[in-house]
Amino acid sequence: MKKLVEIKDVCKIYNPGENEVRALNHVNLTIGENEFVAIIGQSGSGKSTLMNMIGCLDIPTSGKYYLHGKDVSHMSDDEQSDIRNEEIGFIFQGFNLIQSLTAMENVELPLIYRGIGKRERDRLAEVALNSVGLEKRKNHRPNEMSGGQQQRVAIARAIAQAPPILLADEPTGNLDSSSSKEIIKIIKRLYREGRTVIVITHDSGIAKQAKRIITISDGEIQSDIINPDYKED
Amino acid sequence: MGTIGEYIKSAIASIKNNKGRSFLTMLGIIIGIAAVLTILVIGDGLKAEASGQMSSLETTTIDISIDLSKTDKCFTPANMDAIEQSMNCIYGLSPQITLYGTGKGRKATYSIYLTGGSDVLSHSGSNKILYGRYFTRDDVEASNNVCVISETAAINLFGYVNAIGETIEITSEDMTSEFTVVGVRENTSLDKSYATQVDDKPVLTGDIPYTAAAQAYNYDVNSLFTDVKAYLHEDNKDIAMSKMKSVVENVTGLRGEDAVKVTASYGMDESTKNILSVVTIVIALIASISLIVGGIGVMNIMIVSVTERTREIGIRKSLGARTSSILVQFLAEAAILTFTGGVFGIVLGLFFAKMLCTGIGFTFIVNPILVIIVVGISISVGLFFGIYPANRASKLNPIDALRSE
Ligand SMILES: Nc1ncnc2c1ncn2[C@@H]1O[C@H](COP(=O)(O)OP(=O)(O)OP(=O)(O)O)[C@@H](O)[C@H]1O
Ligand SMILES: [Mg+2]
Repeated sequence: MKKLVEIKDVCKIYNPGENEVRALNHVNLTIGENEFVAIIGQSGSGKSTLMNMIGCLDIPTSGKYYLHGKDVSHMSDDEQSDIRNEEIGFIFQGFNLIQSLTAMENVELPLIYRGIGKRERDRLAEVALNSVGLEKRKNHRPNEMSGGQQQRVAIARAIAQAPPILLADEPTGNLDSSSSKEIIKIIKRLYREGRTVIVITHDSGIAKQAKRIITISDGEIQSDIINPDYKED
Repeated sequence: MGTIGEYIKSAIASIKNNKGRSFLTMLGIIIGIAAVLTILVIGDGLKAEASGQMSSLETTTIDISIDLSKTDKCFTPANMDAIEQSMNCIYGLSPQITLYGTGKGRKATYSIYLTGGSDVLSHSGSNKILYGRYFTRDDVEASNNVCVISETAAINLFGYVNAIGETIEITSEDMTSEFTVVGVRENTSLDKSYATQVDDKPVLTGDIPYTAAAQAYNYDVNSLFTDVKAYLHEDNKDIAMSKMKSVVENVTGLRGEDAVKVTASYGMDESTKNILSVVTIVIALIASISLIVGGIGVMNIMIVSVTERTREIGIRKSLGARTSSILVQFLAEAAILTFTGGVFGIVLGLFFAKMLCTGIGFTFIVNPILVIIVVGISISVGLFFGIYPANRASKLNPIDALRSE
């Protein structure tokens, strides 16, 4: 199995000095290609911090992070931007869509930063929106859509990027159970299509559908197991 | 470059999303640009007006006078000839004598003001001969009763412009003489200011040989003139100035008697124009204070906009926007705001300038380069005052930005 994410002895310390917070404490973690990982843990345990690290939104205070074998722990802001654009698709709890843009325009955004021309962008965005069942909502703005639909736009945006890694931080945290099911279905499909999917969740029901479950507490990895209940479906 | 187009598009979109606020921001720029442009256009009008009024003096002249308290010598046709011989760098000399009276033409009778001089009087203004010719040195020497009259004079006296060959009967006090029209020239500013002088009727103007004028009054041209004007070529006025006094003293035999006075009189020359330009620029600078205030308004709104859109910036960064992408987007937003404001400002400024020019009576001249410069200024104001907020936006940390509400 090829290594995609390799985290070595990473610490993340907020407010170093007086009342410092060790959000990540000597974490070691390796994730390969085409894995389906759930990260669970209590509130404040460091899940989001870990995800930001994996997603190159943040750099570690100490330790090393290799993505595709490349050391990304000391990259400049712009280099990190480029890596995020090429390698990472984010799905956030709060959807993170730009309110003034339509579904299409939101999906095209990362492609603009990649320098892809209008025509190809339109094509990719359309394919992505179709694949999450939103062909009829292309020209709607986020405030004209339900939470589940908004989250599907966010997923379509990640799909259009075609990144090797999909990072989902509480993707269903703001959704009702039927929308949640739909989102999880799409996420699982993306895994089956060959991507590595990392889902952070409070919901043990969701975690149980992942192939590998990592539990963290107080910034440390407590357990890292292959899910015995995992079912291909 | 395609990507820059995208950033500009998103800048336009965000301006449209906040129409009211965008307009208020622009208002400062609109007023500033309008004020600056109005002043510059009126300044141009002022310059045109001033140089128009002075155009009759455009040729540089030297006034030469003989002090009668020191000598009884004066200028005569002979010594003026001699001076001209030794001063080949000038057009020539002309004394001045005025013949004022009533002029009777075939059609009507008007008050008329005739300037008597030599043929070089033709260099005194920029007004051109429309028909016929100016009178010549031969006319002067032969005291021919010929005249060159203004367009207005021709129309009023004879009913048509090309009045060559017509005669005017001039009556002044108890003498009467007839003059043949040999030329018709463009009106001068004098004609304009004489337009409604006597009983709402114009006073007409024309030029005649000084010898003919003297003859009409029965004066002797050899004892008449203590003042003459030398008309100079623009190019060698300095040489002429330096030589004139000694040449006149030599020719008239007045060397060492301190009786000859030489004064230069310049028309609307470069330094006068420069002064007008400086005045215009100073007023424009004062007006541009409002432009600075407008620019600060832009900066203020941009800062609010950045703060409001922190989350959007975070989202863009998480999707791969580089520092420069965000910078360009916000700079474009500021520049588009001020550019649009500038365009409105130009329209408004030209409107005000037109109104004021009409009101004051200036010609309304719009220099296209001025308009281009003003557009440039308005964009620069946006870029200059947009840099700080745009820079602030581009440096936001994506995690903090995403977390903000
Ligand atoms: N910018 C920050 N400055 C200071 N402390 C921070 C910052 N971000 C996170 N922390 C702290 O780091 C720890 C881990 O936070 P993190 O957001 O990773 O938790 P989490 O596991 O995602 O929690 P939740 O399930 O509630 O989202 C927390 O104690 C939090 O208070
Ligand atoms: Mg979290």
